[in-house]
Amino acid sequence: MSRRLLAVLAGALLLAGCGSAGEPPNLTPRVTAERPTPANAEVSPEIDDVGSAADDCGDPTASLRPKGLATPRGSTMAEIKKRGILRVGVDQNTFLFGFRNPTTGTLEGFDIAIAQEIADALFGDPNRVRFKAITSQQRIDVLRDGAVDIVVRTMTINCERRELIEFSSVYFVAGQRVLVTKRSGYTGLDDLAGKRVCATTGSTSLVNIATAPSQPVPVAVDNWSDCLVLLQQGQVEAISTDDTILAGMAQQDPTTHVVGPRFTSEPYGVGIPKEDTDMVRYVNAVLQEVREDTWQAEYDRWIEPALGPGTPPEPTYE
Amino acid sequence: MRDTADRARSQAVPQEPDDARSLLAALIALPGSGLRSVIRSAAMTPGRLTIIAIGLAVLTALASITASLAVRDRSDTMAELTERREPLAAAAQQVYRALSDADATAASAFLATGEEPAELRQRYEDDIAMAGSSLSKAASDPAATLRMTAQIDVISQQLPVYTGLVETARANNRQGFPVGASYLREASALMRSVILPAAEELYRTDTERVAEQQDDAGGFPVLAMLVVVALLAALVSTQRYLTRRTNRVLNVGLVLATVAIGIGVLWSVAALTVQSVLIGAGKDDGTEQVDLLVKARIAALKARADETLTLVARGDGGGYEQEFILLSSRLAGDDGSGGWLAEVKATATDGTRLASEVSAAQDSAVQWLRAHADVRELDNAGDYGDAVRLAIDGGNPDGAAVAFVALDDHLRAAIDEARQSFFDDTTAASRALTLLAPGWIVLGVVAALGVGAGIRERLREYR
Repeated sequence: MSRRLLAVLAGALLLAGCGSAGEPPNLTPRVTAERPTPANAEVSPEIDDVGSAADDCGDPTASLRPKGLATPRGSTMAEIKKRGILRVGVDQNTFLFGFRNPTTGTLEGFDIAIAQEIADALFGDPNRVRFKAITSQQRIDVLRDGAVDIVVRTMTINCERRELIEFSSVYFVAGQRVLVTKRSGYTGLDDLAGKRVCATTGSTSLVNIATAPSQPVPVAVDNWSDCLVLLQQGQVEAISTDDTILAGMAQQDPTTHVVGPRFTSEPYGVGIPKEDTDMVRYVNAVLQEVREDTWQAEYDRWIEPALGPGTPPEPTYE
Repeated sequence: MRDTADRARSQAVPQEPDDARSLLAALIALPGSGLRSVIRSAAMTPGRLTIIAIGLAVLTALASITASLAVRDRSDTMAELTERREPLAAAAQQVYRALSDADATAASAFLATGEEPAELRQRYEDDIAMAGSSLSKAASDPAATLRMTAQIDVISQQLPVYTGLVETARANNRQGFPVGASYLREASALMRSVILPAAEELYRTDTERVAEQQDDAGGFPVLAMLVVVALLAALVSTQRYLTRRTNRVLNVGLVLATVAIGIGVLWSVAALTVQSVLIGAGKDDGTEQVDLLVKARIAALKARADETLTLVARGDGGGYEQEFILLSSRLAGDDGSGGWLAEVKATATDGTRLASEVSAAQDSAVQWLRAHADVRELDNAGDYGDAVRLAIDGGNPDGAAVAFVALDDHLRAAIDEARQSFFDDTTAASRALTLLAPGWIVLGVVAALGVGAGIRERLREYR
């Protein structure tokens, strides 16, 4: 009897000793870091189909033939001279084309140099320019409401835009390519099937990514630099847009490079209000001189290190 | 064989409950018989008097202890208010402010041409340090709700990410790379869409808790009052009963007890009135003003960040400018004479330091809005360099930076002033209750002695 009792007691003690009394509170449940993204970044955004109906205007790059550097009374140029300053819409964020040098506080780049050449022709002083920083979406509006005289901002000449504004002759030809990290081994958009590729909201580059045969996933951001942020944070595999812009990014991050062939042709022109045809001819005359004179030096200064040698594009006139 | 044993056991079992039942019956009968004997003795006057005496003594003890505890409870509530709740709310406010200021300062420092100004860098670093140490203070609340802990979690997790982004932005900017501006805008977006909302929520919860506690401390102690009133009624009716019985007008002991409890009631009413008036004053001139001023200060900081980020965005900052317009009109109305500042001004007593600080803040706000309009005009006209200088130059008395810093300083001084009034009023309210809790115990003892003496005097007449 007492032995049985002892056995029961021992069993009870054993059970109490073995049984776990629960677990201590878990102080660090698994926490995973969430990477931030630039404001308004959007994966697979809805893309407006760009009107291809306007693509039948012949050669959109054919501009008005230059008629020398005279500035007759009553002309647009005379008005600008009277004002004493040339107002130019530019970019402040595109490295190598139009960007603000934070050390000196001044705007620099290939586009800026073109604008300064025009000011130099008008005033004999390249610094009589008032730069207005504008976004890509504002380029046509600022010309139409007269906020600026010209726009020099990596602006592709196309039929759709020519219905709204005038363009100078082509001063640079860019093409869409792809920027990837060197380690990734990608060689073009074809390698990026199902991978995230970044471009700015509303750009033709974004449409080109979305419609590419390899079907990459487009990611839209506000600003080209935001794409580089996404690439550096490992949230996109590639950036695809004009090689000129990509060259600027490759310069900011030596672990990246521009790959693949140009799969579009983007002829850049100076944007001018539709009614200022005299200004178009004047700017074309200036560009004529620039092609023979300073174009190569500016190209070699800004673009050559990233994209290799290049020559000025031949203008076409109506 | 086995069956019989079982049967025998089953027969034996019911006997035990039988005994238990009789014991239970006796237990139940006990209060009954006690009650019967009490009723028997209550029928006779000396017994009745003893019962009355015991009842009164118990009621006196109950009333004085309840009253004393109620008072103690309020004193504790107020001590917690000034020593813990309000400081926690202030810490949450510091977190919120330091983070907003860091956001605004990082953008300003970014705009400077060439080397980053040392004073802006210092201010940013101080903000981050301040945010960290205030956060640990705000997190030290043992009564924090799950929701509050979640907000603190968000801030602690994201703050290092934020500072990392700011440093990446700086490193790129130093090399002249435009991607720096994108990193800064990403940092700012993280701050504004994740960290600041969490800080605001934390601050809001803490502030609501202060208000709840103020209501607690100012409420009416219903239970204690009911017991005390019952005691007074019992004392009065006992005296009337004795007067009827003995034809003696006054019983000194019972009068003494009544007077003691009466003093307690009058003292309590006076002290509680003073206390709740002071608590109310601490709310109206203190915490509510602090809340408005904090809202104003945060709006100012966010608007300042918008002002500088518009410039950092370099032509792409329309959204920031829209937010600036919204925030500045909430802060000070469209012309600097409305908004939250005017609301505080309207409730501040004229001639106080608070009123003068708020007036000064209004003046600074007007000056800032004017400078901001100039900055926008310059930037829109393409004079980016001049716009930046006007926006961030701390040496230009007409610039936005000087006006903003003055506004922020005046708001800080006003918040300190309002916090001080809260603290003064609440401490004074707490003092109004000093001695009342032990007072009730003393008065209770006096009243009980009075009851005892009074009844004993009557009982003696029956011997």
